[in-house]
Amino acid sequence: MSKELIRLRDLTMEFDGERILDGINLYINDHEFLTLLGPSGCGKTTTLRIIGGFLTPTAGTVIFDGECINEVPPYKRQINTVFQRYALFPHLNVFDNIAFGLRVAKKPKEEIEQRVNHMLEVVSLKGYGHRNVSSLSGGQQQRVAIARALVNEPKVLLLDEPLGALDLRLRKDMQNELKRIQQATGITFVYVTHDQEEALSMSDTVVVMDKGRIQQIGKPEDIYNEPKNAFVADFIGESNILDGIMLADYKVKFFGRTFTCVDAGFEPNEPVDVVIRPEDIDIVDPKEGHLVGTVTGITFKGLNYDIIVEFKGFKWLIQTTDFHPVGAEIGIRLNPEDIHIMQKSEYSGMFGDYSSYSAEYDELTEDAGDGEE
Amino acid sequence: MKKANRVLTILMFVFLYIPMAVLIVASFNTGKDITRFEGFTLQQYAELFRDQDLLRLLGNSVLIALLSTGISVAFGTLAAVGIHSLKPKMRKVVMSLTNIPMTNPDIVTGVSLSLLFVFVGTGLLNQRESLNFGTLLLAHVTFGLPYVILNVMPKLQQMNPALTDAAMDLGCTPVKAFFKVIIHEVMPGVVSGGIMAFTMSLDDFVISYFVTGSDFVTLPVEIYTYTKKPIHPKVYAMFTLLFGLIFVLMLTMNLLQLRGDRKKVNKRPASRGWKIARRCIAGVAAVCLVVGCCFLFMSGRQERITLNVYNWGMNMADGTDGTMDLVAEFEKRYPHIDVRMSEYESNEVLYTKLSSGGITVDVIIPSDYMIDRMIAEDMLLELDFQNIPNFSYVDEQFKNPDYDPENKYSVPYTWGTVGILYNTKYVDEADVTGWELMWNEKYAGKILMIDNSRDAFGIAQYLLGYDVNTTDKAQLQACADKLAQQRPLVQQYVMDQIYATMENEEAYIAAYYAGDCMLMMEENEDLAFYLPEHQGFNLFTDAMCIPKCAKEKEAAELFINFMCDPEISGANMDYICYASPISAAKEHMEDYLAESEIVYPEEAVLEKGSAYAYLSEEISRYVEGLYQGATKINNVSTDDEPSGSPVALIVVAALLAAGGGAWVLFGRKKRKS
Repeated sequence: MSKELIRLRDLTMEFDGERILDGINLYINDHEFLTLLGPSGCGKTTTLRIIGGFLTPTAGTVIFDGECINEVPPYKRQINTVFQRYALFPHLNVFDNIAFGLRVAKKPKEEIEQRVNHMLEVVSLKGYGHRNVSSLSGGQQQRVAIARALVNEPKVLLLDEPLGALDLRLRKDMQNELKRIQQATGITFVYVTHDQEEALSMSDTVVVMDKGRIQQIGKPEDIYNEPKNAFVADFIGESNILDGIMLADYKVKFFGRTFTCVDAGFEPNEPVDVVIRPEDIDIVDPKEGHLVGTVTGITFKGLNYDIIVEFKGFKWLIQTTDFHPVGAEIGIRLNPEDIHIMQKSEYSGMFGDYSSYSAEYDELTEDAGDGEE
Repeated sequence: MKKANRVLTILMFVFLYIPMAVLIVASFNTGKDITRFEGFTLQQYAELFRDQDLLRLLGNSVLIALLSTGISVAFGTLAAVGIHSLKPKMRKVVMSLTNIPMTNPDIVTGVSLSLLFVFVGTGLLNQRESLNFGTLLLAHVTFGLPYVILNVMPKLQQMNPALTDAAMDLGCTPVKAFFKVIIHEVMPGVVSGGIMAFTMSLDDFVISYFVTGSDFVTLPVEIYTYTKKPIHPKVYAMFTLLFGLIFVLMLTMNLLQLRGDRKKVNKRPASRGWKIARRCIAGVAAVCLVVGCCFLFMSGRQERITLNVYNWGMNMADGTDGTMDLVAEFEKRYPHIDVRMSEYESNEVLYTKLSSGGITVDVIIPSDYMIDRMIAEDMLLELDFQNIPNFSYVDEQFKNPDYDPENKYSVPYTWGTVGILYNTKYVDEADVTGWELMWNEKYAGKILMIDNSRDAFGIAQYLLGYDVNTTDKAQLQACADKLAQQRPLVQQYVMDQIYATMENEEAYIAAYYAGDCMLMMEENEDLAFYLPEHQGFNLFTDAMCIPKCAKEKEAAELFINFMCDPEISGANMDYICYASPISAAKEHMEDYLAESEIVYPEEAVLEKGSAYAYLSEEISRYVEGLYQGATKINNVSTDDEPSGSPVALIVVAALLAAGGGAWVLFGRKKRKS
C-alpha cells in the first residue's frame, strides 16, 4: 500500500456530555477506499464530519499529510464531501452546481468549462449541464453531487451514505460506478455506510464501528472470515454464535462435543464464542451428522433456503440449496475451517441466537439504519 | 350553493375596495363636495404636482420607508441567521421576544420609544433636539425588523442545513456561503419581509407621531393635521396614486412569483427574459435607494437656514382661499431661510412639548397666561428689538402687557375673545342669555365644550361670577363641579375638530375663539356668535416668543418683524379672522373683518373682558387635575407612561441576534451533526 494520508489519534467527541466518539485511532492511506461501517449512532458520520472539518473534536487530533488540521476550517481543507441527501444548490443548474467550487477558487473560465464538461462525462451526464437540478432523478442528482466534489480534484473524497436514498437496483449500479471512478481518479475515498454488503464489495479496508468505538479494522475478507467479536460477526453477514470452551489449541468443546478447529493461542479451558457461518454448514444424513436437529422453519431466498434448525433447544440458521420440510430431522457436519473462535467480549450472548428469527428481520434493521443521524 | 359563494366573494371584494373607489372617484371630481360628483377633471393631479410641500412630504415618507426597509432587511436577515443557529429552546424565547413589537400596541411602542430617545438624547448626550431624522428611522427599523425576521426564519428552517456545509466544503468561507447560497434560499422570505416592512413604514402614523422631530416629518403625520379642516382634493389625488403604485407593485410581485412557480413545475431552465426582468427590478431598486440617499445627503448638506415655527393649527395665512401665503412670501423676501411649520393644539400641549425637551423650535405663539408662566420658568429668550423695527407699529395698549411687563420676551400676534358659537336654526334665541346656554339641557348631546383646562374653567368662573384668576381652591372645586355637571350634556370636548362638527350641524352650541367662529360662520350662514358681556369673557392675546431651545434666533426675529408688517398682519388676519394688535393693519384687511364687531368689539364691550394670568405651578396642576376629573370619562394619568425599557430590550435583543448571525457567519462554526 501507498503512504499514509490521514491519521486520527485518540479522537473523542462529546455533545452535551454525551460521548459520541470514544478514542478513535485510525489511519487512511493514499488512494485507499476505506469504509466506516456500523449501525445508526455508532459515530461513523461524526468521524466523517470531523475529517471534513465541520466538527471540532473534543479531544484528539486529526493529522492530514503529517500536519494537525484540527483548527483548519473546511474551506481550507483539500477534502470534498458528497452529502447524505446530495445538498445540491437548488438555485443553480447542473453545470453551475459542478462549477461552484472552481468558481469560488476563481479558476479561468475556459478551464472551468473544460473541467466541468469532463466531469459530466465521467459521471455519464453529458448534455445535462443546463438542466435544473430539481428535475433530475435521484441517481442523476447523486452523480451531480459526486461530480461537484470530484471536479475540485481533492486529495480525499468523503461520502456520507451517498446511496442511502436510492433503490436497490440503482444502488448496485452506483456501487460499481463509484468503484470505477475511484480507481480511475486514484482519489482516496472515505465512505460511510450501514450496509455491510456495500462495504464488503467496494472497500479496500473496512472499519466496523459501534458505540463510538472501532470494533475491527481489516480487509473485507478478514472482517468476514475472522470477526473479532460477536458484534462484528453478527453485523457482517449472518452468524450462529455459541458458547464454547477452548480445551487446548485446535480443540473446542460445545454442545457437549469436542470439535477440531484451526484456532490456537487461548488459555486452556478458556470460555470462548464460537462462530459458525450458516453457509458453511454441510447438511448430511442424521446418522452421519456431528449433531442432529429438527427443522422448525424455512424461508425461500432465491439463491438458497434459510432454514432454522433446533439443536437441543438452541436454534441455528443454516443456508442450503436443498429443500428440507419443517419437522424433518437432519444431521450436520462441521469441518475445522468452518469453526471460528473468538474471545469473549461485552457483546457475548447478545447475538447469534435465531430463536426469534423471522424473514423480515434483515429488512427491519436496514430501515432503522436509513434514519441514521 | 356555488352561486351563493360567488356572490359572497364579490360582496367581500366590494366591501374591501369600496373605500378606495370613493377616494379615486373623489380625486377626479371637479366639485369640492365629495357627496356630489360634478364632472371629471385631472386638475387635482396637476395641483398635486405643483405642491412642493406635499411632494416633499411624500418623498420623506418614501425615503424613510426605503432606508428603514433596507436596514431592517440587512439586520433582520442577519438576526434570523443568528437566531436560527441557537439551540431550539433559546430560539423559541428569542423569537417570541422579537414578535412582541408586532403585537405591542403602536401607541405603547411610540410613547416608550419617544421616552427612550428623549432620555438618551437629552439626558445622556445633551442634545438640543433629541427627536430627529435618526430617531424616526430607528423607530421604523424597530417595527420593520420583526417582520423581516418572521419571514426569513421559516425559509431558514426549510433550507437543507447541509447546503451551508456543502458551500464551505467547496471552498466558501461562511460569509461567502451566506451570499452565494443561503441568501438565494431565503430570498423569498427576505423580499416578503421587506415589502411588509416597507408598507408598515410608509403608512405608520402612531409611532412616527411620537418620535418625529421638527426637522423631518412624514406624510401620515402631516396628513393628520389636515383632519381638522376638510382635506384638499389634491390629497385624494396623491392617495389614489399611492394606492395605484402599491397595487401595481403587489400585482407584479404576484405575477413574477406565479411565473417562478410555473417555471419550477415545468422544470425548465430560467428564461433569459426572467433573468433580465429580475435584473431590471434590482437595478430600479438600487437607483431608488441611491437617489434617496442623495436626496438625504443634499437636504442634510444645504447651507440654508431652517426656521421652525410652532404655531396653533390654522393660525397663519397659507395661501388657500385666496389669501396670501405668508411662508412663501417670507421665503421670497429671505431666500436663505426655509420655514417649517408645525402645529400644537393648546397652550398646555405647547408647554409640555417644550418642557419635555426633544424638539427644536424657533418661534412659538403662546397665549398671554402661558407667556407669563414661561417667563417665570425661564423658558424664553429675550428678544433683540433692534431686529424687530416693525414693533413700532404695535398699538400702545398692547405694549408692556401684564404678562410681559417690560416687554422683553414677546411681540403680540393676535388678540380676540372667547364666546359662544350657536346655530340659529336649532337654538332658540330666547335661550341665548349667557354662559348658562352651555349648560342648557334642551341641547343635551349637541354641545361642544372647549378642550383645555384654562378656557373651560374660565367659562365656569364667568358663569359663577368668580375671578378668572382665582386661586381659591373652594371656588375652583365649585367650577369643577359645574363642569362635571355639564359633562352628560357635552357631545365632545374639542379644539380644532370644532370646524367640521359645527359646519356640518352635528352640534349646535360651542364655546370657542371669536376668530375661528368667524371662519365657521363664513362656511355656514346659520351660525351666530354671542359674547356674554354681562357675565364677562376672556380677552386673550397670542404673542410671538422665542423659546430657549431655538437655534436660529436672528432668523426668528426676522420672522417676528415680518409678521408685524401692517400689510402682512392684515393679510394674515384675512385668513385667521382674529384681531390684529396693529391698527395700521386694518387698512390691508377686508372691510367686513375690519368693521366686524365680533373681531373688533366696541371699547365698552372690551372693558367687560378679562385676561388670564399665570397661576402658580401648584394651582395649574390642581386645575388640570380637577379638569381631567370633571371632563374625562377615562381618567388618564399622565404620570404612568410606560417605560422605554421593553422596547429598548427588544432592540438590544435584535441587535444581539444580528451580532449572533454575524458571529455564525464570520466566526468559526460548530454544530451538532
